[in-house]
Amino acid sequence: MDVVGMYPTWYVPNIGTAWVMGIIGVIHVVASHTAVGAAFLFAFLETKAYQENAPQLLNFIKKYGMFLLVFSYIIGSITGPGIWYAISVASPRGVGGLIHNFVWIWAAEWVFFTVEVIGVYALIYLLGKIDAKTHLKLTWSFALASWGTMLLIVGILSFMLWPGNENWYQTGSTNDAFFNLNFFAHLGIRTGSMLVIATLVGLMVASTEKELALKASVVKFLAPIGLGGGFFAVMMFLYYIRTIPDNSVEMLHAHLLPVYEYAMIAVFIAATLYLSFAWWQPKYLSTPLAIGMFLFISIFGVWPEERIRESMRKPYVVGQYVYSNQIISRDVPGKNITGEVDKIAKKGLLALHPFIPQRLRVITDNNRLEVGKLLATIACSNCHALEPGAPLRNIPDKLHRATDADMIAAFLTGALRHGAQPYMPRIDLPEAEIQAIAHYLAAVNQGQNVKRLIVEQRAAAIKMQVAN
Amino acid sequence: MDIGSAMNAMRDVAGLPAHPIIFQILMIFTWIFHIAFVHIALGAAGVAIYGYHNRHKNPHWERLSLAMIKVAKVSVSLLIVLGVAPLLFTQVIYDPQWYASNVLSAAWAIGFIFTLIIAYCLWFIFYYFNHGVLRPNLIGYAWIALALFCLDGLIMHTLSYQAILPGEWMNWYAPDGVLDMSGSKLHAIQWIRYLFIISLSAPIIGLFLIAYAQYFAIRDDFAPEYRQFAKDLGQTLTTVGFGIAAILFLGWQFNHSSATNLVLHPLGWLIFIALIGMVFAAQRFATKLHGYLPLVGGLGVLTLLAIWREIIRIEYLRPFGYFITEYSVNVDLPSIMLFFATLIGLGGTVGGFYLTLLYQAGQTQGHYTATKLVDKLGTFAIAILTLWIITFFTYGIVIWLANYFIV
Repeated sequence: MDVVGMYPTWYVPNIGTAWVMGIIGVIHVVASHTAVGAAFLFAFLETKAYQENAPQLLNFIKKYGMFLLVFSYIIGSITGPGIWYAISVASPRGVGGLIHNFVWIWAAEWVFFTVEVIGVYALIYLLGKIDAKTHLKLTWSFALASWGTMLLIVGILSFMLWPGNENWYQTGSTNDAFFNLNFFAHLGIRTGSMLVIATLVGLMVASTEKELALKASVVKFLAPIGLGGGFFAVMMFLYYIRTIPDNSVEMLHAHLLPVYEYAMIAVFIAATLYLSFAWWQPKYLSTPLAIGMFLFISIFGVWPEERIRESMRKPYVVGQYVYSNQIISRDVPGKNITGEVDKIAKKGLLALHPFIPQRLRVITDNNRLEVGKLLATIACSNCHALEPGAPLRNIPDKLHRATDADMIAAFLTGALRHGAQPYMPRIDLPEAEIQAIAHYLAAVNQGQNVKRLIVEQRAAAIKMQVAN
Repeated sequence: MDIGSAMNAMRDVAGLPAHPIIFQILMIFTWIFHIAFVHIALGAAGVAIYGYHNRHKNPHWERLSLAMIKVAKVSVSLLIVLGVAPLLFTQVIYDPQWYASNVLSAAWAIGFIFTLIIAYCLWFIFYYFNHGVLRPNLIGYAWIALALFCLDGLIMHTLSYQAILPGEWMNWYAPDGVLDMSGSKLHAIQWIRYLFIISLSAPIIGLFLIAYAQYFAIRDDFAPEYRQFAKDLGQTLTTVGFGIAAILFLGWQFNHSSATNLVLHPLGWLIFIALIGMVFAAQRFATKLHGYLPLVGGLGVLTLLAIWREIIRIEYLRPFGYFITEYSVNVDLPSIMLFFATLIGLGGTVGGFYLTLLYQAGQTQGHYTATKLVDKLGTFAIAILTLWIITFFTYGIVIWLANYFIV
């Protein structure tokens, strides 16, 4: 049987599955970076407490640790699998591709993760209850294990953008996929960011400290680490953008930087000023300021970062061989993978997609609108909302609300069919399917009540069937 | 379109990096520990709540409730992290089923995440304000948290159950040919299976309590009366719990699709015998045996259950022509070696260090000073981690340079 391995589609109106993933992703990034960064801050602080015989620092660690436990390990450990769930329902073939390339890497990360979760409880509950030397070993091993989780996940995340050269496509080797071109740059950004986020959380906790000398000592210790981490992350970001593919460069300059550039610079300046101020005048660090800055930097810093990272991959979701719309874009001889675009161009999605209701497999006057909507949802909704004015790059606005079906079809059979738009997938469909999509989009842009029309046409089709 | 052919096409095009049976074994093996902590978490939460309500009747209830609040909190963390592995391996060999089921109930799959976060936070609040002594007017947090934990269990059950009913997928996705892409429904719940698995929380926490009484026997601050109280409760929960579970299991046994012939499968009946066996073992031997041994028996029951789940899946998917052994394989030795080296080397030493330390420190009243073994394990753990990181970077840099500057 001729079929492509597509899945059913989950459609979230207006924000799309992309934002669902983005929201969970941002929460996870903040939590997980806090966790890893804090693990190192713990280790540094505890070493200082051990060397300088300053047990009061341990009280701070205990307090910080409790916060870390609630925030990072509850939220972080749930949203980690949460991202998995989100990408499973948004891009099942994308996550399937990642898992089948990296299952052993992920499994190794799970070993670290398990060790880490046991470690965080041991670290916090045994503080002050066991001898200092053993606890220090516990803390350092916990920090190294936490970073281990980052080392392993970054290779997978950076492969999502691209492997960086042709080797992996020919060998199919996990080595070539994992240690891809932008791996080290990406690792650098995340390592620097983890220190910044952990410092921000540390300052929040320190701001509640009533003993001023302890507060000053902790803030003066943490602030320069955050500043150093931030500077390192920015440097690595500048290096990172030298390692990305052409379609990402195009996307970055055409769509992303114009939207996020100033926000990112503002976040960087605000973070630098805040950390410098805290370092200079630690006693003036108040809890509302610390919470406000944490929220500001983590929301307005991480959201653009995650949006940019996700958008720069377009039109792919994995390794430049799986399109966002779940279609395999090219051959990967190393894995015996064959591209599907040409096959779909020849036979059409209606014939090859396993989850098309039988009555919609053949286009008629009574189902063209419905088929058009279905095809647009399958082919476009991973990146675009279908509703006019919706926040996720909505198609009606992208088409400048064009109401002429022929004009829309011309775009579909022109740039899109030939893959001429660098950040759009090559969507090549048979003529009838193109016409159905154009018909639907024109109807939406004309402001017609498409939902009602589809119901009416469906009723008419049933009536005709009964009459025959 | 034939769903069996579709499922085979929906398999990931990259194939598997090792033989499918390896993933199947790992999936079964890792699920045992995940479900054990699910049961401990739910059981501990139940005992904590019951103890809270009965705290004025007997002081032991208060102490036990406080302990179980902590046990539930830690167990939820562990069940999450231990759930990652079976989820991963399921997605490797049963990707078409798992993803299709998730997409069809996508809103619930996402809801699972947020309800779990809320549940854990509520439980944490309950824990945080119940330090040393149980405070009044807090039980609402615990009840809501427990209800949400049970809801999350139901969502997971549904996603797993829908995955083995591919013949229904199209009816759920497009009832009467009209597409529903909202993912807003839970389409198939096998209540008897869900109730059976949840019911095991009672006997498993019972076994845990017997082991708890044994573990703290060495500490003077755990009075014999309190330990006996915990042990007696454990024995009651084990006996009654396994009895109820056996009845529910019988119901499940006769609830399988008749096409599968699972009702006659010997493993199903072996589980029934094991459940009944645990009822009698708890009654007769619990007082005579070492407190950890019944726990091993419980783990045995869960192992049988883990294998049984997989047999059920195989039998439900057989008529559709889906067999994991037909998955294409592209062996990837370096990453296989990475995993097993990390599991044995790092998991063994660092995990071993943490667990031994926790075990010994927990049995020590007052301050604990590391034994020579723990001290050496600590040093070894840091050494292994450092070695792992150095090897990772050295290996990675060589590949990276070879790929981008030499080739």
